Amino acid sequence: MDYEQGMIGRGRDALEMIFDADSIKENLIDDIQIEAEIGPGAVVGTGLLDGEKATFIANDAQAINPRFNVVYFGVIGMEEAYKMALAVYSTIEADKDKPLEQKRPLVLIVDTPGNGPGKTEEIFGMNKATGSYQLALAEARKLGHPIIAMVIGRAISGAFLCHGLQADQILALDKTFGTMIHVMPLTSISRITKIDIERLEELSKDNPVFAAGVDFFHRLGGVEEIVKKVEDMKATIKKHIAEVREAKKAGQQEKLGPWGRGALGDERGGRVARKKVMEKMTEEYNAVADKYLNA
Amino acid sequence: MALNELNFKYKVENPQSIAKEYSHLGVVGSGDLEVLMEKKDFGGGAEVKVVTPVTGFDKVWEMVVTKFVKGNNLGDLLIEINDNNATPVVVSMRLRQALAEANKIEKGGE
Amino acid sequence: MLSWDELQKAKFTEANARERAFGLVDKGTFTEFVSPRDRMPSPHLPVLGEAIGYDDGVVTGIGLIGKRPVFVVSQEGRFIGGAVGEVHGAKMVQAIKLALKAYEDVKVKYPDSYEERLPAVVISFETGGVRLHESNAGLLAHAEVMDQFQDARGKIPIIAVIGSKIGCFGGMGFVGAATDVIIMSEQGRLGLTGPEVIEQEMGKDEFDASNKALVFRTTGGKHKYIMQDANFLVEDSVAGFYQQLQEVMKLPFAEIEKFRRIGSKKLVEEQLELVKLAVGLGAKDSMDVWKYYGNEDPAKLVDMGPDEFLKVAKRRERKLG
Repeated sequence: MDYEQGMIGRGRDALEMIFDADSIKENLIDDIQIEAEIGPGAVVGTGLLDGEKATFIANDAQAINPRFNVVYFGVIGMEEAYKMALAVYSTIEADKDKPLEQKRPLVLIVDTPGNGPGKTEEIFGMNKATGSYQLALAEARKLGHPIIAMVIGRAISGAFLCHGLQADQILALDKTFGTMIHVMPLTSISRITKIDIERLEELSKDNPVFAAGVDFFHRLGGVEEIVKKVEDMKATIKKHIAEVREAKKAGQQEKLGPWGRGALGDERGGRVARKKVMEKMTEEYNAVADKYLNA
Repeated sequence: MALNELNFKYKVENPQSIAKEYSHLGVVGSGDLEVLMEKKDFGGGAEVKVVTPVTGFDKVWEMVVTKFVKGNNLGDLLIEINDNNATPVVVSMRLRQALAEANKIEKGGE
Repeated sequence: MLSWDELQKAKFTEANARERAFGLVDKGTFTEFVSPRDRMPSPHLPVLGEAIGYDDGVVTGIGLIGKRPVFVVSQEGRFIGGAVGEVHGAKMVQAIKLALKAYEDVKVKYPDSYEERLPAVVISFETGGVRLHESNAGLLAHAEVMDQFQDARGKIPIIAVIGSKIGCFGGMGFVGAATDVIIMSEQGRLGLTGPEVIEQEMGKDEFDASNKALVFRTTGGKHKYIMQDANFLVEDSVAGFYQQLQEVMKLPFAEIEKFRRIGSKKLVEEQLELVKLAVGLGAKDSMDVWKYYGNEDPAKLVDMGPDEFLKVAKRRERKLG
């Protein structure tokens, strides 16, 4: 395999690398069928991880949506986001009678530059589509499904919020693969904030709070583990599924997902104001709570 | 590039603090600022802290702030200003408004 | 600051975030949490030479509407466009978390009558989403807000108030969409991609961001009301929003949940119908959609006053709810 090229645009290849040979069934979660015609930029379905069933949700950056001209190159459009949400809800449905420890995992393969930015999208409410997918993931996570996001290429801003940041744990290929995690490139930040690019470049060398890159997200607690080799993706994903499952069984949901990453950001020194603010608020609320709860 | 912090201390004759324990006014919008006034036991003195992205106008700040503190005989008072490029006219106006707010007698139930 | 009574008459668009927070709950009941006096500005702005604010652009606190504790989050658009950084985001997240704590406490204390004391969260959005100066922290905070929203599902209502000049865009656009109830004024705007970015992506011929009428028809309160993306349309005053909140609080929670647009498989299927309509209709302008929903002369709706608009405007019919 040619790793020099990295994995950008290779969501389907990643599925082949991660799931057992010939195990991938697109648009199918057990016997629940997901409409195959919609959202070509999103690939969803079921695959096996060493024999264990898992739902996958991946970007296909090679696909072009013929109905929405802003959706190509991995962009998540309205159809794509709802399709992704359907895959999640169908997974919940398929396992609804299973106990917590048997809820199947969801694996998100992340390589997306953004959400559909068009006029039609705004008229019909693109914000609902991506919001919908996030709520679905949060629901599945809280029901006990382990959710692992694997960033193989681009994880940019709102698209990453939608496809990745609701996972229990987030893994990312090492930056040598060209992996990108950021809100905006520094040139755009410079243009909008009117701060010199030179200054931003200098600061971004060691400022995890706005700098682009996998390592900085790691320091902020936004990425749990960096995967050094593509061959390691499968084993690392499996390891994290097991870890997440254990934590859920032990009732430690607060160590996972966005809330867990908050604590991790504090631990790694990247986001320390968050906790102080929250503690102060709690203290001030406790001082007046009686008055409001017994009005 | 960091923010510019200015600190001033005053001691006036027969100083007056504010009626409320503390008072806040304004929004740190572009060309505007916020003022926080807080009663403090400074032995009659007054302290002012300004945080602003603007550099090179420290003298102007000192003039505006000094005029305000001395003109109103302020003491036992901490004034903090977070500025975002407000003009001296706006600064003076906000300081006057903040003082009026700090001395406003609260009406019942508000 | 204006008194509560004066505030009610004030335009919502012109009030600041703190005034809105005070005015959205019953007279004299608002207590601010992490107020400017606590001096908790963003730790990340000074190094960039960017002005700080002691509330970091968001006012959080608690008030009452009747007997119900209402946790208020009110964003300030004049401070860096209301954008969400680490501190701002933490305040939002914790407001919801505390509301959930209050919910548990009320249930224990008033097991038979907790519904009349059910806490609520009210968020006045005025934001473009992530604050670029601390973008990574802002992004992570967005995810935490969504996570809390899901925790609140079926327990306490989360109500969006969108009536500010900046509106609710970017990552906060989907946060707004994920609430239970959305109250907007004509001046409020809700979406994902702001007009300038659409113009940049699609060209000026397709979308002219300087065309205010076009911008408001695409994401403004009237359009969102017709689409059922906004549940209520109110006049641009603090009282308009406050009174609507009072009305919503009178409804049983089961009724409130029916206002949701997203958050279940059924709702996704309903939205997918809308996406199919987008394809089938080939709408070039929101007015094409208004016409489809039975508004014979959609152009007339644009300049119509709110009272008349509410009387004559025909909305998308919902199968659910």
